[in-house]
Amino acid sequence: MINKIMINKNLWFGLFVAAFLITGCAKKSVEIEAPQGHAPTQEQASEVNEGSGIKSVGEMSEESMTQEEKLRQMKMIESQAKKIYFDFDKYNIRPDQMPRVEYDAQLFNRPEAKPFGIKVEGNCDEWGTDEYNYALGLKRAKSVRDALEAKGVDPKRMSIISYGESNPVCTEHTKECWAKNRRVEFELIP
Amino acid sequence: MRLFILILCMTFSLFASDLTLEIVKDVGNLPKIAIEVSPESIEGKIGQKFFKLLLGDLKVTSHFDPISSSIGYARILDPIDYAKYKDVAYLLRYKLFYDDFGDLEARAVVYDVKTSKQLFQKLYRLRDKKRYPFIAHKIVYDFNEALHFPDVAFLKSFVIFAKYIAPKRSDIVLSDYTLTYQKTIVHGGLNIFPKWADKEQRSFYYTDMQGRPTLYRVDIYKGVRTKILSGEGMLVCSDVSEDGSRLLLTMAPKDQPDIYEYNLHTHALRRVTRYPGIDVNGNYIEGGARVVFVSDRLGNPTIFAKRINSDAVERIVYHGKNNSALNSFGHYIVYSSRESNNAFGPNTFNLYLTSTTSDYIRRLTANGVNIFPRFSSDGETILFIKEFQRQTALGVIRLKYNKSYLFPLYTGKIQSIDW
Repeated sequence: MINKIMINKNLWFGLFVAAFLITGCAKKSVEIEAPQGHAPTQEQASEVNEGSGIKSVGEMSEESMTQEEKLRQMKMIESQAKKIYFDFDKYNIRPDQMPRVEYDAQLFNRPEAKPFGIKVEGNCDEWGTDEYNYALGLKRAKSVRDALEAKGVDPKRMSIISYGESNPVCTEHTKECWAKNRRVEFELIP
Repeated sequence: MRLFILILCMTFSLFASDLTLEIVKDVGNLPKIAIEVSPESIEGKIGQKFFKLLLGDLKVTSHFDPISSSIGYARILDPIDYAKYKDVAYLLRYKLFYDDFGDLEARAVVYDVKTSKQLFQKLYRLRDKKRYPFIAHKIVYDFNEALHFPDVAFLKSFVIFAKYIAPKRSDIVLSDYTLTYQKTIVHGGLNIFPKWADKEQRSFYYTDMQGRPTLYRVDIYKGVRTKILSGEGMLVCSDVSEDGSRLLLTMAPKDQPDIYEYNLHTHALRRVTRYPGIDVNGNYIEGGARVVFVSDRLGNPTIFAKRINSDAVERIVYHGKNNSALNSFGHYIVYSSRESNNAFGPNTFNLYLTSTTSDYIRRLTANGVNIFPRFSSDGETILFIKEFQRQTALGVIRLKYNKSYLFPLYTGKIQSIDW
């Protein structure tokens, strides 16, 4: 009895599912719109010319790309170089500055730095007068140039110049500021 | 007795001509002079500055004692107020105005107050009103001459100087001696150490530091720049010979700052000093027979002299710890000396006058940082820059009168100056 009921239940369930599927499918097939298909008459596409032929200003030739790369590399090496500081009215390299000179010598002797020339720039604080200050800056630059040469930097790569007091990195009127200005720094040249 | 008096007189006359001797007592009082401006004179900034310039010029001559307490107003031909000016010797009246063509004009009259006689009168005209300071200087120069006082041609001189405008950037500027009128002549880059090329002040030398240091000569009336030579490291024109044919340069062709002489006719360059330290600031003395210069050959910078063709070097200054800048006229040398080892204390740099023909040294300043001393073309006046308590001033020293005058400066940092 129980089995009959079970069978009937299954039969009814099966019939219900079947009916549902049939009606569902039928309904869906109605809803599906018939494909429109491509129109047999082809519409002419208008050519969009606006914007074509525009070139970026930064577009560079291979050669200038190399120049750009060179410049970038020079600036990178320059930024890594350590400035050499001096005592008031002196142009001899202080013992505490020697490790910085050694570091710079190693830096300039790296393969990526070797293609470049080195401009050794001497600078002074505001306390010197006239020509003497420019000569002092020159002697500072010469001291550093000679020290770099002693550490193996090719002298032919180096040139020196004095900017006297004309190129301060600090313009306050303090001892610390003046000490920062009494320096030798480097500019790489291609 | 007669011989004694003669020797005494000769000694006094010898000392009287030595500018290194300080005059400690003024003989007599200077004649007082009053200034009156016409009520029809233009006012505003130019009017006010013009009055101040006249006042400053009168003081700087050291021939007059101008009444500076207040400005008087009177027309050029108004009667003189004798009650007001009973102690006054001269009365200067002027009117500054624009004429029908827009040119700036000035009429100046000088009266002898006691006799009310006109001693001087002149009309001045100027197209470019910016150059108005030169009218003031010319008025004082002209009537000083009309009254037969010693020459004050320095009032009319141009000053050329380099001033820093940014790091590694300085302009060359032309001005009157008070630095009131300023005209930029060279702009762009680092332009330094201007030096007059001739007595007429028609052209000057300067160093362009863009790339290799390069010495140029500029004709200010033609606006033409001519390259003289270039070098490595540094290159400065320190002095020009009397006839303008030779230059004393500080240069470093082998990275070693030394003094060289350059002949502009033959283009020959001759090395004058050979010391491996610092030799700079060469100046001709004794008519070009010798050269005086700054050297650190004794450890600190001080003053030496030598003949161009000789190796022998003579020390000129035996005092001071740092005598690092000089200027010369004839056998006189004015130099800046740091007074103490404490570089950053007060009383840092003073000016001194010495001579290669006497042992005297005259101190010219008492305090502050006194730099860039420059002789006038007649050697009787020294122009310098004074920095004191964060203020900058232009200084004028009248050597024969033992008087010093200061004018406040608002020009920024000066790199170098020539007069």
